[in-house]
Amino acid sequence: MNRISLQSLTVSQLVDRFTALALEQYEAERHGDTARFNRLFDEVVRIKDELAGRAGDQRSALVTLFDHPNPQVRLNAAQRALAVSPVAARQALQRLWDNREFPQAAYAHQTLTALDEGTSRLS
Amino acid sequence: MRADVIEIEWQRRLTLNAIVCSLSELKCLAAEVRLERAMRRHGQALQVAWKAGFKPDQPRVPKGNPDGGKWTAEGGDSGDPKPGKEGASYKPGSSGQRPPTSRERTSVLRDVARQIQQTGKTVEFFARAAKWIQVYSADIAAYNDPPKSLEDLQRGASTPAPGYDIHHIVEQAQAEQDGFPREVIDDPNNLVRVPRLKHQEINGWYQTKNPEFGELSPREYLSGRSWEVRRAVGLQALRDLGVLKP
Repeated sequence: MNRISLQSLTVSQLVDRFTALALEQYEAERHGDTARFNRLFDEVVRIKDELAGRAGDQRSALVTLFDHPNPQVRLNAAQRALAVSPVAARQALQRLWDNREFPQAAYAHQTLTALDEGTSRLS
Repeated sequence: MRADVIEIEWQRRLTLNAIVCSLSELKCLAAEVRLERAMRRHGQALQVAWKAGFKPDQPRVPKGNPDGGKWTAEGGDSGDPKPGKEGASYKPGSSGQRPPTSRERTSVLRDVARQIQQTGKTVEFFARAAKWIQVYSADIAAYNDPPKSLEDLQRGASTPAPGYDIHHIVEQAQAEQDGFPREVIDDPNNLVRVPRLKHQEINGWYQTKNPEFGELSPREYLSGRSWEVRRAVGLQALRDLGVLKP
């Protein structure tokens, strides 16, 4: 995806873009394309920062993705909305782990463990 | 005078015998050393071979052909599903054919292993749509192993098995680059036997950017860090990916 100015997008458009990036990440991971996955990761961080910077911290808009059918979308949304919706985000992460949806389950477990130990960088 | 000659002859023979015995012992010792070195080389070669995906049961081109003895494609058929049979509707990959590259094959095998985990279906079910998968049934079965204790994983490292790789808990290439001695890297305490497809997930995990590592990949995060930190992250990877019991 080409870099675009995120300030011009609405919250809804940002959430759509966030979803599209996660779906691309899912495919990149499936095909072992780590370089592409990491490029998309940087874009996900940009969108998260943009949402966090909007009035009222619009990362809460990501909560709508906690029930998305794709595990990478759920993982990204739960991790990036953890600070604004900790209980629901934690539940979404726990479901990923309980359902053994690897490899996303691995990242969910890592965050859950870090939360329990008070070392998470996402809370 | 005669007694002196006999005594001298006796002494000469004793000395000769002693020399012959010593030579034999030396030969035995040399043979033992050669055997030990060969065994060590064989063990290392086995480990490398397993890591490189060597499969003793992979079919070879039959003797008498121009490429006789070389490894050949698994299955040896088109992989077309048989109409009307269960599983025929599922085609791993785009066509059911064996993908040409290792990366694509791994992608399909992991998809199949994950689907087996999620649905409880068997390798045979998927192999009906793509017969080449059957050759990798050990890899697929191993992927769904339940998590094991560290002791079990370490014990397994001394006995390579189909479907498994020997994995360094502290990543070997980066540790060597950062100056850790080879004997520490290859110490049995740092070696575990893990399912091959999980091993590939672990390698991917190390290279993938991760918010819990400050948006860095674990490999970037670990650069220049102590052995203890690397080991803690290595064990964490095994736990998170469901290889090591939490």
